[in-house]
Amino acid sequence: MTLNAAIARFATLFAIAYLLLGARQVWLQVVAGPAIAADRHNPRLALLARFRGAIVARDGTLLAVSTPKGRSYPLGASLAHAVGYASATYGTSGLEAAFDADLSPRLVANDPVRQFRSLFGRGETDADQRGATVVTTIDPRVQSALYQGLSAFPRAAGIALDPRTGEVLAIASVPSFDPATIDRSFSTLARDPRSPLLDRALDGLYPPGSTFKIFTAAAALDAGAVTPDSTFEDTGGYQIGSFVVHDDESEATGEQDLAGAFALSSNVDFAQIALKLGAHRWFEYAGRWGFGRPLEFTLPAAVDHLPTRESVTPSILAQLGFGQADLLVTPLRMALIGATIASGGNEPRPYLVRAVRWNDGRQTPDASAGSLATPIASETASEVRDLMVACVESGTGTPAALPGVTVAGKTGTATNPAGRSHAWFVAFAPADAPRVAVAVVVENVGYGATYAAPIARRVLAAGLGPT
Amino acid sequence: MAVALGIGGFALSLAPRNSVGPPWALVLLALGALGWVLSAPRDTRRDELLPALSVMLTGLGLAMLARLSGDLAHKQEAWIGISLTLVLLSRRLFDHFRQFAAFKYVWVLGSIVLFALIAIFGQEVNGAKLWIRIGSIQFEPVEIIKLFMVLFMAAYLAETADVIAAAKPWSVRANAKYLGPLFLGWGASMAILVFERDIGMATLLLVTFVAMLYVATRRVDLVLGGAAVFALAAWWAVKHYPYVVARFQVWQNPFADPLGRGYQALQALFSLAAGGLFGTGYGLGHPYYIPAVGTDYIYAAWSEEFGALGGLVLIGAFLVVVQRGLAIAQAQPDLYAKLLATGLAVTLGVQTFIIIGGVLGLLPLTGITLPFISYGGSSLVANFLLIALVWAIGSERAASS
Repeated sequence: MTLNAAIARFATLFAIAYLLLGARQVWLQVVAGPAIAADRHNPRLALLARFRGAIVARDGTLLAVSTPKGRSYPLGASLAHAVGYASATYGTSGLEAAFDADLSPRLVANDPVRQFRSLFGRGETDADQRGATVVTTIDPRVQSALYQGLSAFPRAAGIALDPRTGEVLAIASVPSFDPATIDRSFSTLARDPRSPLLDRALDGLYPPGSTFKIFTAAAALDAGAVTPDSTFEDTGGYQIGSFVVHDDESEATGEQDLAGAFALSSNVDFAQIALKLGAHRWFEYAGRWGFGRPLEFTLPAAVDHLPTRESVTPSILAQLGFGQADLLVTPLRMALIGATIASGGNEPRPYLVRAVRWNDGRQTPDASAGSLATPIASETASEVRDLMVACVESGTGTPAALPGVTVAGKTGTATNPAGRSHAWFVAFAPADAPRVAVAVVVENVGYGATYAAPIARRVLAAGLGPT
Repeated sequence: MAVALGIGGFALSLAPRNSVGPPWALVLLALGALGWVLSAPRDTRRDELLPALSVMLTGLGLAMLARLSGDLAHKQEAWIGISLTLVLLSRRLFDHFRQFAAFKYVWVLGSIVLFALIAIFGQEVNGAKLWIRIGSIQFEPVEIIKLFMVLFMAAYLAETADVIAAAKPWSVRANAKYLGPLFLGWGASMAILVFERDIGMATLLLVTFVAMLYVATRRVDLVLGGAAVFALAAWWAVKHYPYVVARFQVWQNPFADPLGRGYQALQALFSLAAGGLFGTGYGLGHPYYIPAVGTDYIYAAWSEEFGALGGLVLIGAFLVVVQRGLAIAQAQPDLYAKLLATGLAVTLGVQTFIIIGGVLGLLPLTGITLPFISYGGSSLVANFLLIALVWAIGSERAASS
């Protein structure tokens, strides 16, 4: 090889190497650019914070919106946990976290066409940079009713769904906080022993108490272990080995059919129903409903805690029949149990966000009704619905009754190691064509009928609207 | 046209208010640059592209600096003035570049003295010992050493290339006799690595060294040997210098430690991402989030505001300069001139590749300057002299033909 040929080799080598540089440059700035720019460590995002997209309710009511003065949350503490906060210091939570990429302002540079037009001062407006709008399924009236009801107590949570679609109409957790002032209050909130930052509706795990009799009844009826005409004898106590099941305050309900046992919430009767069902079928139905598995939802939710199969002795199974023993569930789970009965045995897929809309007119297709499972037959669902209607008409659930509407519901008074019982209520209405399903829990106050049912009643009334 | 762009660059640097001092200084620099580009004697057919592109790159670099820091731009202007004065003064001298071959051991001695100065008076910055401070002036001797090494190598190889080329690779005696002094080159690279901890410059010297050796002898075993030395040295550096390990890890994943080690690299990525295809526009980006944006990362700042297209313009300009230098080398009648032009062109080309590749994350970042663009007096002076010398080699050929 001649000397000049060797030099020519270097010329070629440089041409290739620099071509590589050019390719890398275009790839980095044009192709990979958008993903890099969206990283939360990018300080340019803070400069664009006022262009962060809005979160709105189903009717367009603003739930979170950015202004030059900062991010404001018109509903404040009412919807704080689900909407979340967006702080430069403390990061994001709730929908602000789940939809951060969509809400984040868009760098014009990451769209070559827009950028080219902006070179000539065309089409470049604030709106171009504004992040997408997240349209939720929240109904502000229902939300307001739920939060007002809950906030009369120190610690409580609730969630309301449309059982036909799975849309979350309202979701609240008390105590709450003001997301607008999170930068100043975070350290105080994080240290508060009442855990105001915890979203009890999704992450609170509670013993369900007697509201779980909905499940026990549904499973036993569906499996054929009992019929609506089965009768049960409650003498105030029921011995299983060395363990004795008692009713609250040990009142004996005497001989009752299934509706009576359900309406009067007899623990003795439901212990017997659970034993008739048997551990094997109990777990089979728990599996059908998806208990103990992560719930598919817009936001992360805690997973229910179930006992292990090996640990379920007859006395444990008897207690599971009325929602005690080694069982912990979220309010979301209980609302879904109610919604499943309401929608004829179909467990709706819950969701909180209907669509994401960008300023250029693009939007994700509207979320549509989906199904998580069909754990029970529709005949079973209507039989359980009748039990729940009777409970509100003539049983423990009467405080939830609404004039002119048939309400189906079930009380729960869950004993727990933390103090007084948790008050529960799970309901839906109207019973024959349900539009709202709700679950409410009030921590450590006492009877579900006294404390939780009135809140559920209020939520149902708001959800059904002035008729 | 390139000159016009360069002068445009000088003018652009007026835009950021209070950043570059009096306009007359810029006019003076523009006139100086124009004078240099047009300083060809009438009796030769000079190729003005090399100085013109250098002036263009310098002007654009100054504009970028002016937008980043008025203080740096001010100092850079002074260095541009000094560089232009030096190339104008050295024009007559460089026309006699062939006589530089006689001083080959002077270049070695000069390099050793500069090394010694760094070892004794060097200031450590960011884990690397690169600077000598005289009063308020900081000086980076390696930039000059790289020129000295090329001058020495060209002269030495011009005399011994035939013998080295003829020597069988396995003949220890034949190789040792003539290659022996060449290990000085390797030695110098390693010295930089050990005493200055400047991986970028060590790599640059080694690559230049191997490239010249290859062109002179066309012996592939020497190239492979060079590659082996490099691999060994890199492995050793990774073992012994925690900051080298850190750089390497950052290169592999800048997102791993976003607020610590990866901070600078990540900020550069964000800067690039903000630029897109067309850039944010001059003065409209936010490149100042990047630490050391004026020196190591000025290319990221440029790319943020002038986009991927602006970056391609710079890459293209550098490639043209390097190709022109190699073409000049090919056109030379004698081995010495060929080697000298090749060495200078390769030095410039590799330095540019290392730093742009580092900024773009193609290579681990090493702190060397982007010729003509980065802030830095020694870099500016050395690269202006480099271009002046290549230009002189090219025009000498034209004069003699």
